[in-house]
Amino acid sequence: MGRVARRATSGVLVAVSMGVAALAGCGGDSADGPVTLRFVWWGNEERAKVTRAAVDEFQRRNPDVKVETEYSGYDPYFQKLSTQVAGGASPDLLQLDRPTLGEYARRNVLADLDQYAGKSLRLDRISPNLLAGGKVDGKQYAVAAGQTTQALVLDPALFQAAGVNAPTEPGQSWTWTEFADAMNKIGAAGAVAGTTDFGWAIDWFEVWLRQHGKQLYTADGKLGFDAADLERYWTMVGKLRPTKGVTAPEVTTKQDGGLQNSGLITKQAASDVGYDSALTGYFATYGQSLKTAPLPSDNAAEPGMAALPPVSFAVGQRSKHKDAAVKLLDFLLNDPEAGKILGAARGVPPNEDIRAQVCGAATGGNKLVCDHQAAQKDKMGPAFGAWPTGSSAIKRDFQRTYDDVIFDRVSVGDAARRVVQDAQQSLGS
Amino acid sequence: MRRVVWHGGVLVVLLVLLYPLVWLVSTSFKPAAEVVSTLALLPSKPTVGNYAEVVDGVGGYGVLHYFGNSLLIAVGAVVGNVVSCSLAAYAFGRLHFRGRGPLFGFMMITIMLPHHVVLIPQYVIFQQLGMVNTFWPLVLPKFLATDAFFVFLMVQFIRTLPRELDEAATLDGCGPVGTFRHVILPLLRPALITTAIFTFIWTWNDFFSQLIYLNDPEKFTLPLALQLFVDQATESAFGPMFAMSVLALLPIGLFFLAFQRFLVDGVATSGLKG
Amino acid sequence: MAYLFLSPWILGATLLTIGPMVASLYLSFTDYDLFSAPTWVGFDNYATLFTGDERFWHAAGVTARYVLISVPLKLGVALAVAMLLNRPRKGVGLYRSAFYAPSLLGASVSVALVWRAMFSTDGTVDRVLAAVGLDVGGWVDRPELALLTLVALAVWQFGAPMVIFLAGLKQVPRELHEAAAIDGAGPVRRFAGVTLPLLTPVILFNLVLETIHAFQAFTGAFVVSSGRGGPSDSTLLYTLYLYQRGFTDFRMGYASAMAWVLLVVVAVLTALVFRSARRWVFYAGEDR
Repeated sequence: MGRVARRATSGVLVAVSMGVAALAGCGGDSADGPVTLRFVWWGNEERAKVTRAAVDEFQRRNPDVKVETEYSGYDPYFQKLSTQVAGGASPDLLQLDRPTLGEYARRNVLADLDQYAGKSLRLDRISPNLLAGGKVDGKQYAVAAGQTTQALVLDPALFQAAGVNAPTEPGQSWTWTEFADAMNKIGAAGAVAGTTDFGWAIDWFEVWLRQHGKQLYTADGKLGFDAADLERYWTMVGKLRPTKGVTAPEVTTKQDGGLQNSGLITKQAASDVGYDSALTGYFATYGQSLKTAPLPSDNAAEPGMAALPPVSFAVGQRSKHKDAAVKLLDFLLNDPEAGKILGAARGVPPNEDIRAQVCGAATGGNKLVCDHQAAQKDKMGPAFGAWPTGSSAIKRDFQRTYDDVIFDRVSVGDAARRVVQDAQQSLGS
Repeated sequence: MRRVVWHGGVLVVLLVLLYPLVWLVSTSFKPAAEVVSTLALLPSKPTVGNYAEVVDGVGGYGVLHYFGNSLLIAVGAVVGNVVSCSLAAYAFGRLHFRGRGPLFGFMMITIMLPHHVVLIPQYVIFQQLGMVNTFWPLVLPKFLATDAFFVFLMVQFIRTLPRELDEAATLDGCGPVGTFRHVILPLLRPALITTAIFTFIWTWNDFFSQLIYLNDPEKFTLPLALQLFVDQATESAFGPMFAMSVLALLPIGLFFLAFQRFLVDGVATSGLKG
Repeated sequence: MAYLFLSPWILGATLLTIGPMVASLYLSFTDYDLFSAPTWVGFDNYATLFTGDERFWHAAGVTARYVLISVPLKLGVALAVAMLLNRPRKGVGLYRSAFYAPSLLGASVSVALVWRAMFSTDGTVDRVLAAVGLDVGGWVDRPELALLTLVALAVWQFGAPMVIFLAGLKQVPRELHEAAAIDGAGPVRRFAGVTLPLLTPVILFNLVLETIHAFQAFTGAFVVSSGRGGPSDSTLLYTLYLYQRGFTDFRMGYASAMAWVLLVVVAVLTALVFRSARRWVFYAGEDR
């Protein structure tokens, strides 16, 4: 038994210590003959149906390419993806989001797409603002699969009942003071809180930082804010808590960006801060009366909002069929037929011609998304840069520390200092 | 009178215990919008819409397809565990051999390491064996007695069996194989049934390893199909998910109901007198 | 001869267990981000664990509390119900199945949603308690109570140890009971003098396995807290923190070190239980 065990053990050891991933399939493209691609994403059944339909269309036009698709929910997706990549079975085309793009790209999991750009990968109809969201260290590692921006999703009936107006018309805006007054008034009206406490998500802090000329992370991957900034921000949000301008800690702590826990959906708040790509879900779950407003800003010249990829597509660095994978990517992004099939399954289409076409025919929740995009057009700045390695831990620590704040376990100042300290540690690793 | 008190007591305890299950079943009949927005026990307007959606299928296949895959894996796992674990348990529980103590200790150690850290090396092995995206990584380990839980369970049962039985068998001319077949196995029935029941149910519910090893929706099992309804990043279909959870409970519930009766006949009614 | 019986197990151990275990031990001495080759760092991971990571100690504390509360409760309930059901009554098979029913569910997303519904503000537990004048509010979203909901979930699914106890009780020869009854022993004495000693191997099994499982408890906390261990880290069980480190922070070397620390702790505890077992476990089939 000893010898066999040793051999099995050393086999695994060798594989792991050399970085199994690096072993498997470093070869270039084998252009000849039929190829099989693996294309993976996360999302619901609706997204899967349209994506598979688009893939079918691609296969019909490219009989020499077979595409195997895999999809699942968010958490299982990343569990499986990291195991596959670590085990040397990376997919050819994959879907990533903002926290994960930097983590994967900087660990050499993704192919640099610059060599394909302008050739087999047409990017000219995608706005530079949006393309910036797929760049890591100046290289295009991913391309936005759609476009989204921040939104305050609100139930106008609850706003009216409290005698409050929100800037829901195109071009309108509000300041943080106006916003706070409105939320407090709704809270005072008694039925629900003004909005779901949004202090937990680092995403909205990033918007606030941009309004103040700062950023979450600098281009070279350092922290772009200090504890004083975060203390100011959390203090501002915290003032709304006792007055029911924002939800109670018990509601806030279970927020995970998903619909089922949202204060608005569970009827504990009159509004949610979110991304407009989620609006179709709100529309289907909450009802058709929903409206949207921009996020508040005290700086008229800098609304802080951004044109962001809700999710991006990237090609695996170890893919044996990069050319074919890029071809599929280009098809999903730029083909009018594919655009029609995909609709707004990943936010409004990134390609502006297709977006015009899709939004022109949009109804229901999709129309809500398109309307918000149109209304906020002038407020959307360039996408925030990709987050550095360690940002997943920072995002989570941010929320955990905010839990301690809302449950009064730590002062806002200490909490802010701890976030900065932890973040510097995570970035250093 | 005592009988009535006994039944009454059991029923009251059960009422509390089963309430969450009742809530689960009842929620599966709620209209989609109510599933997440209310905590009430009863649906305002009961509907079978969720079940209709499940029957329509998910991920491109009908629900029966996933039932079939789950059943295949679960049955394979049951056979594997019952056979391989009872063999190993007999060796550990009854036979004398060099290194018994250390090997038993090692076996116990293997269940103490959190499986998340061996996940990737194990994946590498099955990847090298070309078994990813087949049922093998889920069934093969069961035939190799990797579920130390059940080996230990059977060892403990074997150790409660009086040694005189083995000695009698030896006098009758049985070797270890004969003793195992004619004495130990029949007496081990409660433990074997327990192993079968647990293996079936746990394999049926196992999400993690099925997620890692199965890629193609054609190979998906119930737990994998179930989670296709849920995605925190987009809109989840909790109604159909609840409905499918209820449907998924039925086979294992029936399996338990059918097999628990065999737990009844232990040593007292079968082995000793025969 | 013994090795013939052991051959499947030996094959499984060499092929599937030893390699991955040694690999994880090796990785615990490296910086390994899942995707790049690991780099040797010696004892750095272990040093950081013990001296520079507050959350590690926090998670260890949460887990200790979880184990200490859930294991005795679960085993107690399981044994009590097994005793209750270990009698030839009409419909006892149906009852057995009913008591096992919660354990059929495992720990899926639907269980998480059910549990949140039971223990959230205005959920079932809140309302029942309010009706008797105890206004605690929701449990699952309160840092001081959330861990108890996980304990409740573990205890609620007591089916596995119950079935094992039942199987053990069936092994107790009825003749012994009858003999004791003839000697004039009442039900309590018969339980303490006959049933309990014969049940000790099974009690040992349940105790050891439930303890090991409780130390590794993951899925319940993962699904109920959406993978975060909240609110305020109050349900951050050891394995959940390990998972976060390994898979969301891409620090698998560090996670491996955590795993081996846990292994040593659990192994020592198990060894102590086994040692004490020589004094309180009675094997009918043991050479004495």
